[in-house]
Amino acid sequence: MNDLPHRPLSPAGTMRRRELLARAAQMGIALPALSALGAACGSSSSSSSPPSSSGPPKGTAVLLNYQGWMGKHTVADFETAYPGAGIKQASLGSISSGAVVPQIKANMSTYDAALGDQAVTGQGVAADIIQPLDWSKIPNIKNVDEKFRSAYTHGIPTDYGKTGIGYRTDLVSDPINSWADLWNLAPKYSGKIVFTDLDRDCIGSALRYKGYSVNTTNQDELNQALQALIEIKPHLQALKSYNIGQGLAQGSYAIAMDWDYDIALAQQDNPHIKWVLPSEGASAYLEGFFAVKDTPQIEVLEAFFNFFLEPKQYADFVNTTGTAFVSNAATPYIDKTIAQNPALIVDPATLANVEFENYLGEATAAYNKLWDQFKSA
Amino acid sequence: MMRYAGQALRSLLALPTLAWMLLFFLIPLGLVVVYSFATISLVTYNISFGWTLSNYRQIHDPLYFNTLTRSIFLSISATLGCLLLGFPLAYFISRQPSRWQKLLLVLVIVPFWTSFIVRTYAIVNLIDNGGPLQHFLHALHVLSGPLNILYTPKGIALGIVYSYLPLMVLPIYVSLERIDYNLVDAANDLGANPRRTFRRVTLPLAMPGVVVGCIIVGIPALGEYVIPEILGGGKTLMLGNVITDQFLSVGDYPFGSAIAVALMVVMALALIVFRLAQRRAAPS
Repeated sequence: MNDLPHRPLSPAGTMRRRELLARAAQMGIALPALSALGAACGSSSSSSSPPSSSGPPKGTAVLLNYQGWMGKHTVADFETAYPGAGIKQASLGSISSGAVVPQIKANMSTYDAALGDQAVTGQGVAADIIQPLDWSKIPNIKNVDEKFRSAYTHGIPTDYGKTGIGYRTDLVSDPINSWADLWNLAPKYSGKIVFTDLDRDCIGSALRYKGYSVNTTNQDELNQALQALIEIKPHLQALKSYNIGQGLAQGSYAIAMDWDYDIALAQQDNPHIKWVLPSEGASAYLEGFFAVKDTPQIEVLEAFFNFFLEPKQYADFVNTTGTAFVSNAATPYIDKTIAQNPALIVDPATLANVEFENYLGEATAAYNKLWDQFKSA
Repeated sequence: MMRYAGQALRSLLALPTLAWMLLFFLIPLGLVVVYSFATISLVTYNISFGWTLSNYRQIHDPLYFNTLTRSIFLSISATLGCLLLGFPLAYFISRQPSRWQKLLLVLVIVPFWTSFIVRTYAIVNLIDNGGPLQHFLHALHVLSGPLNILYTPKGIALGIVYSYLPLMVLPIYVSLERIDYNLVDAANDLGANPRRTFRRVTLPLAMPGVVVGCIIVGIPALGEYVIPEILGGGKTLMLGNVITDQFLSVGDYPFGSAIAVALMVVMALALIVFRLAQRRAAPS
């Protein structure tokens, strides 16, 4: 449970992430000449200097991350800027982030840090696996917009995203502005609709369609969401966790529940794709890196987190992944196709219409069961 | 003395394999069994090892029981599909001249040279609406509308048949190839028509291969995870997917282990049934 909306790490999902990187590179949206930054990056601004209270950090920290979910040059630049310090990335062979906390809990000495959204960090707090950070060593946290900083307090926020609707305006003659429109049009476009294959996104979207919170623990509201999902299931071509935007661009289907960054990428392949933030609201995730409790590499991690949030380094991450970003300080370095894409723009009106997925505690089991019931129906 | 030394040496040769099996099969299997009787808090992820049957009781939930039934049904369907396609092919190959047999057998196993995942994705394009299979059926006037197989249980069964067919063909071929065709000639000389000869002579002699083929297709198909995921479009819940979700999404290792153990028990029962069938089928 506690799935993140865009984490394709199944065998096929790995391809998706790689493909995303390849497409980003092909489209030329990677920030050029970052390799030339090299060692200079570490001292490109006063805020990025290594902490002076102790010596330079040494050692290699293992970061549990989604494959490819990192700037093209970030780790290499960090290791150049901080000789003796390194970041080794590991990934779980799963699309879901729900296994992050149990995986860490079962192997506390294996990982030093991990990527996780608010649901994961909530789960991490309950499982007591999160190490508080010394924020005096991460001065670049100031580059993160306050609204994200205050919402993600157990680590450094890295990115956020929304689950909305993408559709082909040349294949769908009816306007779609809401989840209700999608549900109502489903019979007409039966077999041409795809939903995401992640529980929190699907259930959350159905909950918003019914007018409820994406974090509800009310069983009656959850049952209504289940009925709505079962109602639309015969009209779904598939539940997909990767290549959703690509299929939309190719015309394999006409309407898709999808993540903003994926639609933004697909729009570059096909201009007929329209992004819709449903009027009832959408579920969203806000994720970041957090340190694992009692990690011996905390100094390396704090240095890395600070380095990661330098505007140019953070822009490398955004330009590589194409994600919606949480640091306006990096905007000048972010490719315009991302920075100015309506699907990715962060503005108060958009944020007012999204609800972040939180940790559900004991109610997680109810969501798990509901998801299996939907899949089995 | 020398004989004992030789025996000891031969035993030593088996030691690496035995150690491997112990480390990477028996111990993990034992851990799965132990976990299946444990409980986990899905809040703290603390595991309490004990001997509770609560995980096994959960399997009786109609949701998961129906999933088990669906998996068994799909596995049987796919095995029958492999048998219906595989037997004639194996028979055809076994009746060819020796050098042609070798070539045809190579062609049967050629798909194994490609990654299983890649092959499964290739089927997506093949059976998609508007794909080559639909065009082929349209050309034969067998079908006029869209194929509508991809992302359905039929698509999963087709994918399993495609992927596992060589595993059915090879053991049946071995059985057929060993048949003394003087027996077939004798049956013909004694007045049996071709159908009767096939039913009373060829088929019984090929049954050991059929049973082995059914085992090595049906058993793994029961726990198949990748094919339902790719060709089922995530809409058909199979037991393999439930187990994967429990480990990689939910983090409920004890429940995932209990389902895995239950699946192993079903497979063991199937093996016993097949074994009995094989004994009955073995020519006296």
